Amino acid sequence: MSTRHIVLGLLAAGPSHGYDLKRRHDERFPQARPLAYGQVYTTLQRLVRDGLAEVDGTDADGGPERTRYRATDKGSVELAQWLGEITPPAPFVTNEIFAKVVVATLVAASGESADPAAYLREQRAAHMARMRELTALKTAPGTDLATVLSADYALNHLDADLRWMNTTAGRLAALTEEINTA
Amino acid sequence: MSTHGGTPLLAARELYKSYGRAEALRGASVELAEGEILALTGASGSGKSTLLHCLAGIVRPDDGAVVYDRRRVDRMSEDERSLLRRTEFGVVFQFAQLIPELTVLDNVSLPLLLAGASRPDAHAKAGEWLERFGALGQVTARPGQLSGGQAQRVALARALATGARIVFADEPTGALDSLAAEQTMTALVHAARETGTAVVLVTHDAQVAAYADREVQLRDGKVVGAPGFAPVSASASVSASASASASEEERA
Amino acid sequence: MTASTMAPAATRPAANTRRSWRTDLRIAWMLQSGSDRREWWRLGLTALCAGLATGLAVTAITLMAYVEPSSGLDGGISGSLLAGQGTRRGIAMTLLGLLVPVIALLGQSSRIGAVHRDRRLAVLRLTGATPRQVRRIMALEAGLAALLGSAAASVLCVAVLAGRGYLPEPAALAALAVVPVGIPVLTSLAGVFALRRVVASPLGTLRRVKPEQDWGTRLLIAAGGVLVVGALIAVVVAGNNPGTLLLPIGAFALVLLVGAGAVLASGAFAKLAGRRLATSARPAVLIAAGRLAQDPWAAARTHASVLATGVVGVGAVGIWRIVHDGVVNADYYTPGDEDFYDNGFALFGVAVLVALGFSLFALAIGTAESLVTRRRSLAAQAAAGVPYKVLARSVLLETALPLAPAVALSGIGGFAIYAYYHSLMAGYQETGISLPVLLPLLVPFAVYGACLLAVAATLPLLRRTVHPGELRYE
Repeated sequence: MSTRHIVLGLLAAGPSHGYDLKRRHDERFPQARPLAYGQVYTTLQRLVRDGLAEVDGTDADGGPERTRYRATDKGSVELAQWLGEITPPAPFVTNEIFAKVVVATLVAASGESADPAAYLREQRAAHMARMRELTALKTAPGTDLATVLSADYALNHLDADLRWMNTTAGRLAALTEEINTA
Repeated sequence: MSTHGGTPLLAARELYKSYGRAEALRGASVELAEGEILALTGASGSGKSTLLHCLAGIVRPDDGAVVYDRRRVDRMSEDERSLLRRTEFGVVFQFAQLIPELTVLDNVSLPLLLAGASRPDAHAKAGEWLERFGALGQVTARPGQLSGGQAQRVALARALATGARIVFADEPTGALDSLAAEQTMTALVHAARETGTAVVLVTHDAQVAAYADREVQLRDGKVVGAPGFAPVSASASVSASASASASEEERA
Repeated sequence: MTASTMAPAATRPAANTRRSWRTDLRIAWMLQSGSDRREWWRLGLTALCAGLATGLAVTAITLMAYVEPSSGLDGGISGSLLAGQGTRRGIAMTLLGLLVPVIALLGQSSRIGAVHRDRRLAVLRLTGATPRQVRRIMALEAGLAALLGSAAASVLCVAVLAGRGYLPEPAALAALAVVPVGIPVLTSLAGVFALRRVVASPLGTLRRVKPEQDWGTRLLIAAGGVLVVGALIAVVVAGNNPGTLLLPIGAFALVLLVGAGAVLASGAFAKLAGRRLATSARPAVLIAAGRLAQDPWAAARTHASVLATGVVGVGAVGIWRIVHDGVVNADYYTPGDEDFYDNGFALFGVAVLVALGFSLFALAIGTAESLVTRRRSLAAQAAAGVPYKVLARSVLLETALPLAPAVALSGIGGFAIYAYYHSLMAGYQETGISLPVLLPLLVPFAVYGACLLAVAATLPLLRRTVHPGELRYE
């Protein structure tokens, strides 16, 4: 995930200052981790350094002085390139749940106290609880489309996790045996 | 596992059911509170559909008790259970549940007519429910002319039209794409909340189960995590699972 | 909620019953008015069969009850046969015998669209119809169609009789009043009986538990049928001439017995063939064996009336040859007698052919219905690369395999009937009459061939069914 490209994308709508960019980011990506103001500032600095954005002017309507930024032509080209770029489909499997199950199986096989089956059950319950929350959020009357899209995205990923957990729960016996004989 | 206190609206205790040599249920227990939306999940063959059939009085369990409103559903006669289905229970399946010869309006009117309503009364009430499910435009259509999602909404209208206190839905979105499934589930949940109808929902799809208030998972004819349920791993450590569930409660 | 829904049923049972009948009638009508061509086919055939049955029964009763006036009936082509009381009784019995294949056809027509209807009934049960309500709805549907056919046939019969200036005896009038009502009632009951398992579960086709073999019910029905028809014949015969009661009843019982035996043989052989041929390397045989093993009695059901007709046919041809020989050899008969008997047997032969026609029609309906029922599976097999020829051959084998031993048995049964008659005749006559073998025993082969042709007639339907496009529809 590239914050600089997202900021560049937000600038495409027209010149903005840092606080405005943060607000619009949080609005467009409602379920994402909120963007810290400091992070917006450093990102803008880097964009200017690389010639992708430039200072458009300053505003000071009554409050503190704020710098307005806009994208350069080079920035537009860079954004277009990023948007067309294919994301590598999961080149590495890195996931905490996956790691915990494997480690728990190893530990349990060595006689220490660990119960991967129980862990999967609890994790599953937690996933389901989160999915219920997201579903309620999504189906509440008057929900905006951005929230629906992000909830859909999260639900589908949690669902994928869940399915993997279900399959794994069924394979635990075989997994334990494999580790024991190895 | 427990409901929100008080007497449950519907309860199954230690249900056993076999089809020939295949044991579908092996001591499954579940409770449903008034107005609660409950999801029964599990792999194919886990017994979730059989449990729903027993709860709805469609199938009689071999052993155990099904109690609805202080009455034993499993001991009722065929006629009493039929009466229950046309007055207090509504049933929705995956497909093939609308009568192709009848219009959408007549299909929804059917349980009302069976209960002895006059045709104009039945049509008026059926029309109200079809409107509620956004299917008023199709009243004169035959089921063959509907999309899968439309047909399911008509089936839901029929299940609720009698003023049912519980709707039983067996994989209601099983034949639908994700958008049609979402529309169907949203319509069901909203209608159930507005009328205070309880729902028992059988599904293998976690995204559908997430519409429910609570999930009960079945495996090999038993409820996962219930007292009689044997965990897969024999090397289960008490301390590990206890600490895991403690942290779970903190999070929830 | 509970109290309010229970109370009216408890306090006003009469009003409730009246209302529920009206409700059932309305639902039956709703279902019918929206239904497709197949349903109308079924009802049309039900009405036609009921009409035929009524016509046959009414004509038979009229003939039986006919009391000879001073001058005989004004003659038609068979005036000479109608003139004698004995031959009149024979014709009446033949007409009653024709009831068997007509009733078989009636039963078969109730299977048209059966799978489709099963599902519809399951929905009714699911939405809260009681088993009794569903049975009532189906009985009303079949009964009303039969009533229509019966009424039409009765009006036609009465019109024909009145046109001839004939007024039936009081006893016959009473019987004539009972038949047009009795046949629709019987049709309704038969419809309900055919649906007894379907009605039991609201899950319908979702989970069909293989039913237990209920031999008790089957025997009861068979015994009931024998009693009813036997009693009918007994009344008719005894009313005319108590002395000759034994022979026709004996013959009738023998036909039924042999028919039942042939059906059992058909079922048993289907079971055996299904098991034995399950290891065959030829795909058509393999498919047919699978089908036979799955439901060996399906074939037996369809074959029942063909087999009964076979028994009668063989017996009749044998007896005809014996009588013919007897007439020709006897010195006290004139050539006119020969014509008289030949005419009589020709008439009986026509009746047997008509019966065979009905039976073959029933067989074709059964085969066509089975093709329609499993059209998706057939289309799937075709799509998976099973050639049409193999499927067609398996459909033919499904009928041909269990039918062969059954037809053979019916041939033996028919032979037994005319051999018995031959032994009786041999006692009367000095000059030896040879036991005919060739002509009567050609009958089973003809019946077998006709059955295969009837099945082959449904093959165009198979060709249409195996079109992969069928897979797209639910």
